[in-house]
Amino acid sequence: MSILAPTPVDLEALVTDMWASFVGAPELLLPAAPPAEDVPLWSATVTVTGEWRGMVTVDLAEPAVLAVTRGMLGFGDDEDPDAASCADAVGELVNVVGGNVKSLMPGPSTLSLPVVSHGPVELPSEMTEATALHLTWQGAPVRVRVLTATPA
Amino acid sequence: MKILVADDSRVMRQIVIRTLRQAGHGGHEVVEAENGRQAVELVQTEAPDLVLSDWNMPEMSGIDALLTLRGAGNAVPFGFVTSEGSDEMRARAEQAGAAFLIAKPFTPEAFDEALSSVGLVAS
Repeated sequence: MSILAPTPVDLEALVTDMWASFVGAPELLLPAAPPAEDVPLWSATVTVTGEWRGMVTVDLAEPAVLAVTRGMLGFGDDEDPDAASCADAVGELVNVVGGNVKSLMPGPSTLSLPVVSHGPVELPSEMTEATALHLTWQGAPVRVRVLTATPA
Repeated sequence: MKILVADDSRVMRQIVIRTLRQAGHGGHEVVEAENGRQAVELVQTEAPDLVLSDWNMPEMSGIDALLTLRGAGNAVPFGFVTSEGSDEMRARAEQAGAAFLIAKPFTPEAFDEALSSVGLVAS
């Protein structure tokens, strides 16, 4: 049985639009290999529950987190945002991806508030990766994934 | 004119305010709320000319804030700025009395068009 999920093309278009709108940096997101296991990542997740059940995760390496937060807050390159602002910015990225993924999938469903962790996040065992974007931005890994609930 | 921006994300409130400026609406006074409950309180005390609200917030959601305001007889123009732009959400927003829904990610042009629809001219 096939599991309904956004295509990589849909997901990439959405992430690219979001980056242009909110981060506003001229550097492009580029395709990349999956991040190495030993690269520490910030992870943000939202879940969608209802007619469609799934989870969206956005993972970024620390340099990307700092640059994204600077871009979203309009900070200069020499300004370091605090950890709360970084968590807020990364949470908003996953909220926007999650809300748009929810809109692409059959409804009705409910979007959770984002959860952000400074480190790897434990994914529920019933969730399976359906779509993944492995990207790099300003030389730092960026990963966006959609996971769907495995049918019972 | 006074605009109330309600979003639990401080970063997103800053982006909304910046986008208002980019859309030519930087001259309006802006008041900020962190959730729907605070937005309802500030509508009553600050009497804004427009509310721009996120949908999904802790304490009280944007749609519950709108329903609370309308239930109390308050007709302040109210628009959503949310990541959830499906037809279903737009219909729910309209039924509750929202003037518009701007989907994230957005452009300054989308803001100008939405604000113009409720009579707010660039300032």
